[in-house]
Formats: sequence, structure tokens, C-alpha cells
Amino acid sequence: MKQTDPHRCHENCLVLFERLSEYIDRELDAPTCKDIEAHIKACKPCQVCLETLKQTVALCRNLERRQVPDTFSLKLKSAIFDLVDKKAD
Amino acid sequence: MPNPSEKTKNDDKDTELIRSINDGRQDLFYELVNRYEKSLYNFGLRMCDNPSDAEDMVQDTFLNVFKYLEGFRYETKFRNWLYRVATSACLKKKRRSKYAPDRELSLDEFLPANESDVSVELPRWASQPLDQVLDGELAGVIRQALLDLPEKYRLVVVLRDVEGFTTQETAEILDLTPTNIKVRLHRARLFLREALKSYYEAD
Ligand SMILES: [Zn+2]
Repeated sequence: MKQTDPHRCHENCLVLFERLSEYIDRELDAPTCKDIEAHIKACKPCQVCLETLKQTVALCRNLERRQVPDTFSLKLKSAIFDLVDKKAD
Repeated sequence: MPNPSEKTKNDDKDTELIRSINDGRQDLFYELVNRYEKSLYNFGLRMCDNPSDAEDMVQDTFLNVFKYLEGFRYETKFRNWLYRVATSACLKKKRRSKYAPDRELSLDEFLPANESDVSVELPRWASQPLDQVLDGELAGVIRQALLDLPEKYRLVVVLRDVEGFTTQETAEILDLTPTNIKVRLHRARLFLREALKSYYEAD
């Protein structure tokens, strides 16, 4: 893609925009990935678009997990105890 | 004893435990609870807007699992089945509390409105290593953005990106096609990214 053809560039950006998640998830075939990589190398806005989306996904994947509150854990187990007890009768 | 020649697709560590429970060792159900309560509780926190709803969801889920465990089909992964039960518990809960309004997200709303909105510089939150940016503040922004997502998108992004299920597994859990999952996931991610962008651009 030539820099001198802004319309075409924009069209490619749109195509890419639609497929970025599949690209991040490696769900695209090799030729499509190659096209995307070539475009991204040449297009700064799409680079930013990809990196910010990647980081968004990474943040979701790494959200901290909270401990189950003890009071709830006990309550849960006692509810289950009742059921096990009932079934055993 | 299970027949050794019997073919099971997912003979994981849960399968053995469930066989024992279904063979009469119901006391072992606690072990199943121990394995999954934390992960379900956190799933609940991402899906519901308050901890007490998350607790209700976890309890409803385990009670249903206890009730239906005898009907568990061993060719399914237990974790996937568990999240299927949890998802319906979430959806039931939702009708009784207030949530982000149901609406469709379109790709267009995430496109830059005009040329000047196109960013050519990587913002700070996206250019630093995760352990440096994932502080309380950023995690808080993303947690809130998840809750602001319409539920059908939230479910998909939570199952895929937070819980780590594959596209295929998520499709099975939600009874949707893989294509549908991909479409919703992409829009959900764009929504979250938009929330991060506007949070940091506002300063
Ligand atoms: Zn581009």
C-alpha cells in the first residue's frame, strides 16, 4: 500500500479494524496475518490501535482474584452440608 | 469402578472426583467446592454489580450442581459445565437487580469520528509493562467498564478474556456460534479500550 493513496489506506484500516481481535487471538489464516502485519508496519494509527487493544486484553487476563470471604465460605458449606445430610437419609 | 476401556474425552482430575461422588461419596462434594469456589466467586464479582449478588450466584450454582451432578456427562469438561450452570444463575439474578442497559454495540461507534481523533502515539497505559500499569487504579477502571458493558457482551469477554475459555468453549457454554462469540468479543474489547482511553485522556 502506498502512502500516496489515503483512500485505499483508510479502507485497509477498516478491514483491519474489524479483524484485530481475531488477529490477537491467532484465529486467522497465515496469508491474512501476513497482510495485517504488512499493513501495521506501514500504518501508525493501526499500530496504536493494535497495541491498545492488546493491552486491554492483557489487563483482563491479569485482573487480580479476590479471596472468598470466610463468612460466605462457611455459609456455603453449611448449605451443602444440609443437602448431603438430606440425601443420606 | 469405571470401565477402563471406556473412552472419555476429558479424563481430567475432576472426572475421577465426580465419579466417586456419584458412586456414593457425597462427602467429597466439598472437595469440588474447594476447587472452584474462588474462581466462581470472582466470576460472580465480574458479572454482578455487588458482592452479595456474587455470593448468591455461587451458592445457587453449587446447589444446582449438587442436584444435577448425577446427570453429568463425562465427555464434557466439568469446568465448562459448571460455568454453564453459573451463567444461568447469573442471568436469573440479573432480572432481579439493575444492570447496564441491554443494547447492541456496533463497530461504527468505536471508529474515530474524524481524522484528528486518530491517535499516532501510544498512550502511557498501553506502552508500559503490565505489572507497572496494573495498579489499583487501572484495575478499578477496567472492572467498572466490565460492569458498564451490556450483559451479553460482558458474559463473552469475561468468559474469554478473564476466565480464559476458548472461543469454542465459550460458544458451548452460552449456546452461541463461534462466529457470534468472536463478533461480541471484539465489540466488548473495543468498549473496554474506549473506557480506558477516555479515563486517561480526561486528565
Ligand atoms: Zn491502517
